[in-house]
Amino acid sequence: MATSIRPRTLLSSTVFAKWIVALLVPVLVFTFGWNGDLIVNRVLSGFLLPGSSAYDTLTLIQAAFFVTVFYLTTVALAGYLVASDSGRRGMVEVWVNILIFVLVPLGLVIYTNNLIFGLALCAIIWAVYLYGRRLLLRIFHYTPPPPLEELKVIDAEQQVILRSRAIAGSFWFAVVLAVIWLIADLFFYTTGTLSFQLLIWGIIRTILLPVAGYFLGQLAALIALRRVITPAGNGGNERKEARGRVSRRRQLEVLSTARASEEAKDLVPNDLPLRSTGAQRFYLLLLIAFVLFYPALDPLLFGSGTAGRLAGYGDAGFYVILALGLNIVVGFAGLLDLGYVAFFAIGSYAWGILGSPQIGVLAGFHVNPQIWPWFFWPMILGAALIAAFWGVVLGTPTLRLRGDYLAIVTLGFGEIVPIVFLELDKYTNGTNGLVSVYSPAFPGVDWSANTPIPYYYLILALIVLTLFANLRLRDSRLGRAWVAIREDEIAAASSGINLVNTKLFAFGAGAFFSGIAGMYHAAKLGTVSPDNFSFGDSVIYLAMVVIGGIGSIPGVIVGALVVYSINLFVLNQLDTIVADPSNGLYYVLNPIYTSISHFVPGFTFGSIRNPVFGIVLVVIMVFRPEGLIPSARRKRELHRAADEAAEVGSLDVAPGAPGFESEVRID
Amino acid sequence: MGLLLQLLFVGLSNGAIYALIALGYTMVYGIIELINFAHGDIFMIGSLVAISTLTLLGITDASAPTGWTLVSVILLSFLSAMLACAMLGVVIERVAYRPLRNAPRLAPLISAIGVSLILQDLGKLWKGVSPVPFPMGLHQIFLTTAFTVETVQISIANILVIVVAVVLMISLQWLVTRTRTGRAMRAVAQDREAAALMGVNVNTIISTTFFIGASLAGAAGFIYALQFGGTIFTIGYQLGLIAFTAAVFGGIGNLVGAMLGGLSIGLIESLATYIPDSDRTTHFLFNIPLGIPHGGEAWTRAIIFGILILTLVFRPSGLLGQQTPEKV
Amino acid sequence: MSVERTGDPLLSITRLTKNFGGLAAVQDLNMDERPGEIVSIIGPNGAGKTTVFNLITGLYRPSSGDIHFASRSLVGLSPDGVLKRGIARTFQNIRLFNNMTVLENVLVGEHTQLKAGVLGSLFHLPSVVHEEEEARKRAIELLGFFGTALVERQEEYVINLSYADRRRIEIARALASNPRLLLLDEPTAGMNEVETLEAVKYVRRLRDELGLTILLIEHKLTVTMGISDRIVVLDYGRKIAEGLPEEVRRNEKVIEAYLGKAAKGGQLPTEAAASQEPAATDETFRP
Repeated sequence: MATSIRPRTLLSSTVFAKWIVALLVPVLVFTFGWNGDLIVNRVLSGFLLPGSSAYDTLTLIQAAFFVTVFYLTTVALAGYLVASDSGRRGMVEVWVNILIFVLVPLGLVIYTNNLIFGLALCAIIWAVYLYGRRLLLRIFHYTPPPPLEELKVIDAEQQVILRSRAIAGSFWFAVVLAVIWLIADLFFYTTGTLSFQLLIWGIIRTILLPVAGYFLGQLAALIALRRVITPAGNGGNERKEARGRVSRRRQLEVLSTARASEEAKDLVPNDLPLRSTGAQRFYLLLLIAFVLFYPALDPLLFGSGTAGRLAGYGDAGFYVILALGLNIVVGFAGLLDLGYVAFFAIGSYAWGILGSPQIGVLAGFHVNPQIWPWFFWPMILGAALIAAFWGVVLGTPTLRLRGDYLAIVTLGFGEIVPIVFLELDKYTNGTNGLVSVYSPAFPGVDWSANTPIPYYYLILALIVLTLFANLRLRDSRLGRAWVAIREDEIAAASSGINLVNTKLFAFGAGAFFSGIAGMYHAAKLGTVSPDNFSFGDSVIYLAMVVIGGIGSIPGVIVGALVVYSINLFVLNQLDTIVADPSNGLYYVLNPIYTSISHFVPGFTFGSIRNPVFGIVLVVIMVFRPEGLIPSARRKRELHRAADEAAEVGSLDVAPGAPGFESEVRID
Repeated sequence: MGLLLQLLFVGLSNGAIYALIALGYTMVYGIIELINFAHGDIFMIGSLVAISTLTLLGITDASAPTGWTLVSVILLSFLSAMLACAMLGVVIERVAYRPLRNAPRLAPLISAIGVSLILQDLGKLWKGVSPVPFPMGLHQIFLTTAFTVETVQISIANILVIVVAVVLMISLQWLVTRTRTGRAMRAVAQDREAAALMGVNVNTIISTTFFIGASLAGAAGFIYALQFGGTIFTIGYQLGLIAFTAAVFGGIGNLVGAMLGGLSIGLIESLATYIPDSDRTTHFLFNIPLGIPHGGEAWTRAIIFGILILTLVFRPSGLLGQQTPEKV
Repeated sequence: MSVERTGDPLLSITRLTKNFGGLAAVQDLNMDERPGEIVSIIGPNGAGKTTVFNLITGLYRPSSGDIHFASRSLVGLSPDGVLKRGIARTFQNIRLFNNMTVLENVLVGEHTQLKAGVLGSLFHLPSVVHEEEEARKRAIELLGFFGTALVERQEEYVINLSYADRRRIEIARALASNPRLLLLDEPTAGMNEVETLEAVKYVRRLRDELGLTILLIEHKLTVTMGISDRIVVLDYGRKIAEGLPEEVRRNEKVIEAYLGKAAKGGQLPTEAAASQEPAATDETFRP
C-alpha cells in the first residue's frame, strides 16, 4: 500500500496550510520568543562543551527530554489535526482560536516572565473574549452547524487516505519547521552568536525532523483511526459496551443534539479537531512533560527565583489534593460540606503529634531523629485512614439531614475541631503549636528547607495517586451510587443503594485525601498550629471546587490552582511588582497603586485579597455557576434548571411527612 | 448567688442582641431558604455606621451631651445604622441572590459567603484592623448604673439594650401578623408560587424582608457598639454564627423562635463561663477534676456549635418550629 | 417460563394500617398475592394505593399490621433492604436519574447484583472489570426487552426521551435487580391508546416471559380489566372489594365509590372517565 506524502487534492492543500500555519506560529514563538532554542542550544553546549554551561547535567538531561517531547508531540499533533479535520470550518476560525487560546497565554507568560501572572491575565482576556464572542454570535444570529450532521463511515480505502494525510501533515510540518529553524540558525551563525558545533547540529536536525515527521505521522494516524466509525459497525473507539445488536453509527444517529455534541468531540472526522479528545491526548502529554520537568525548565525559562516558585507550587499542590477530596463529597455524592478543614487539621495533627518529638513527650520515650522520619511513608496511609475514620464519625450525624442543614452541621464540626486541638494543649501544645515536625526521609534526598524540589515531586506523586483514585472511583459501582443518591435519594434507595453506607463512604473517602494533604502540609511546614485552620479555609476549599466545576475532576484541579493563585499569590505578587521597576507590569500597576493609596492609607494589594476573592465568588456564581470546566452533567443540570425555574435534585420532603405523595389527602 | 444573677443578666442582654440578629437570619431563611452568611457582617457594618454617625455629628471622646441633644444624637445614630443596613441588605439581595434564585442551592450559598468576605474587608478598609471605639464620654454615660439588684449592677446601657430589643421584636411581630405586607411575607414564605398567583409581588416582598431583617441587624449593631464600647471588623463573623445557631435552635423560620433562641443562647453562653477549668479547679468527683481544660470560657464557641449540631440532628425544627420541614 | 399460579402466597398483607396524624391512609388491609399472578389495586384518587406501595417497599413504616414476602416479614426494612429481598418498583411520577444516560440508569438498578468494592474498583481487579462488562451486557439485554429503540439510545440522557420511553427505562431499571415481585405504579399514566396497548403487552410479557409476579396500581379500567388475574379495590384506605375482574366491575360498592351513591345500578363505564387520572404533569411537555 503506497502511502503518499503529497497532498492529494486542492481541498487538502488548504487544510494543510491551515494547520501548518496554525501550529507553526506558536511553536516558533516558543522556540525563538521564549528561549526554546536557547534551551536546546544550552543543553547541547552543555553536552558538547562540558564545563561551559551554568547548569548541571541532571538539569540539562531533563530539559533535553522535555524539548524532545515538545517538538515530537507538536509534529505528531500536526499530522493528527490534518487527518481529523472535516474541513467544514474555515481557516480564519482556526487561526483566531490558536491566536487567542495558545498565543495569548504564551505571549503573556513571556511578557510577564511569570507563569501564574501570565495565565491570570490570560484568563481575564479569555473571559472577555468568550463573552464578547457570545454576544456577537447572538447579534448576528449565527448558529453553528449541528454536530454529527453527516456521520461518515470510513471504509478501508478512506482509512488509507486518512493515514496518508496524517503522514503528510506531520511530514510537511516538520519540513517547514526544520527549514525555518535552519535559516534562523544560519543567520545567527553569520552574526556570530551561534557556534559551529551547534550549526552542525542544526543541519542534522533539519534532516532528522522530517524523518521523525514521517513516522510520527503514522502514530498520529493510529490515534485518529481509533476514533472513526468503520463499516464493521462498531467504531474503533474503545468502549466497554458489548458489541451489541446496535451499531455505534446508529447509536450516534439517534442521539439528541445536546448529547450528540458531547459525543462529537470524540469522532474523526471532526469539525473542531483542536477540541477533540484525540487532540487532548497530545495536550495532556505536553502538560505532563512540562509539569514533570518543570524544576529543570524553570531556571531556563524564567531565570532566577526558581526555589521560591517551586515552593509555592508545592503548596498549590496540596490544595489540588484537597479540592479532589472535597469533590468526592460535594461533587460526586452531592453532600454539601462546609467544614472540610477539620479533616485537614486531623491529618496535620496526626503527623504533627506522631511525627515529631511530641510523641516522645507524650509516650515517654526518646524519639530518634534519624529513624523517625522514615515513618512518614507508612504514616501517609495512617493519617489518611485516621482522617477517613473521623470523616465517617463526623458524617454520621448528618445522614438524615438535607442540603443546608447538612452544610451547617459540617460547618459546626469544622469550627469545633480546631478548637478541640487548641484547647487540649496537653497533647497538642495549644496555641504554640507543634514544632520540629519531621520531614520525610528518603535515601540521598535532602528534605530540608534548602531545596523545594523533593517536596515538589512528592506532591506531584501524591496528586497522581489522588487523581488515579478519583478517576477509578468515579467510574465504579460506588461512583454511580453516589451520583444516584445525589440525583434522587428515594429512587436510589429503591434501587438497592444503602444510603447510610454510601454517604458515609463519601465522607470517609473525602476525608482520606484531606488527611494526606494535611500530613504533607505538616511535614513541609515543619510546624502545626491551630491558626492554620479556620472556617475561612473551608470556604476556600469549597470555592475551589465550585469555581472549578463541581463534580468535574479536571475542573476542580483548575479551580484549586485558580483559587490558590488569587488567594495566595497574585495579590502579594502585585505588591512586589509595584516596588520593582524592572518588571514589565510596573508601569501599569504603579500609577494604580499610588492613586488608590491616596484614598486608602496603608493600602497594599495583599490586603484586598479577601474582597477580591469574595467578588470573584459572587461573579462566578452569577455568571457561570457550573464552574470553569464543568462536567457535562452539571452544565446540563444547571441550564435546565434555569429554563424550568424548578429545583432539580433530591427530594425535599422526607418520606413519612404528609404531602410526600400527592395521593394522601388531608381533609 | 450574686455571680449567678450577674451571669443570667449578662446572658439575657447578650441574648437580646443575638435575638435581633437571629431574626434577620430566620426571616431570610423562611422566605427564600437561604442561609445569609453575610448577615453577621451586615450587623458589623451597622455598628461601624453607628459609630461613624456619632463622629460625623461631632461627638468626640470628651463630649458628654445631655437632655434632648443626647436623645437626638443617639436616635440619629440608631436610625442611620438601621437605614444603612437596610439598604445594604436590599442591594445585596438584588445583586448577589436574586439572579441565583433558580440555581441549585449551592450557588446562592457560595455567593453569600463571597458577599460576607467583601463586607468584612469593607469594614477593614473603612475603619482599619484595630477595634473601633465608641465615643468614650457617651459610653460612660450609658455605663452608669441605673439601679442594683442584689449585687448585680444594671446600667442604663443594659436597660436600653433590652428595651430596644423588646420594642423591635414586638413591632416586628405586629408587622408580620397584623399588616398586609406581613401577611404577604408569610404567604411567600409558605408557597411562593401560590402567593404570586394571588397577586403578591414576590420580588418586592423578598426585598422588603431583606430590608427589615437587615435593619434589625443594624439596630443590633448600634446596641452592640453602645453596650461594649466599640466594635471590630471581625465581629460579624464571630457573632454571626452564634446568632444563626440561635435562629436554628429556636426554630428556623419562626420569629418568636428566633427571639427565644437568641435569649437562650445568650444565657447558655453566659452560663458556660461558669464551668471551671479542670487544670485549676478545686472541685473533684471521684478524684477526677470537675471541669474542662481551660474552663468553660475557652470552649463557649465549641459548646454553642455543639448545641447547633445536636439541635439539627435530634430536633431540626428547633424549639418552636413545626415538625414538617417543607412545602412539597 | 411458565409459573405456578397456585401455592403459598408470595406476598401476604395482614391488617395493614397506616396513620398520618389524624388521617388513616390505609386501614386494616388484608390481601395476598400468589406467585405468577397479576393483581391490580384500583380505587379513586386518595384511596391510599400508592401508600400501600410505599408501605411494602419500606418508605413508610406501618402503624400496625404486617407484610410478609416469601414468608419473611418486611416491616422495618429500609427500601434497599426490601429490594434485596426481591421486590422492585416503579413510581407514579417516574423517578429516573435525570442526568444519567439510559444505560447508566439501568446499571444503577444492578447495584445489588454487583459485588465490586472500593478496593476492587480502585485497582481494576480482573473480577471487577469482568463484572462491569457483564453488567453492561445485561443492561443492554434488559433494554432489549422493549425492542431495539432503547438499545439504540442507550447513551442518551434520559431527560431527552419521551415519556413512554422513560417508563420503560424505569421498568428496565427495576428488572435489573432481579426481582421476584414487581410493583408498577400507574404504568400507563399519561399514555395514549397506542402506547397503553403496548404497555399492556409488555406487562403481560413480564409475567409470561420473565416469570415475575406483578402488583400494579392502575386507573384505566380497560387496562385493569384486561390484564389482571385479580383486582383489589380500595376506597378511603379500606378494601371494599376483591375478586375477578368481572365480579369487581359489577360490584355495587365499587360503582358507588367511583360514581357516587346516585349512580344507577349496572356496570361500571368501560371508560372510567370520572376517575381517570388527568394527563401526566410537566413530563409530557419536556422538549
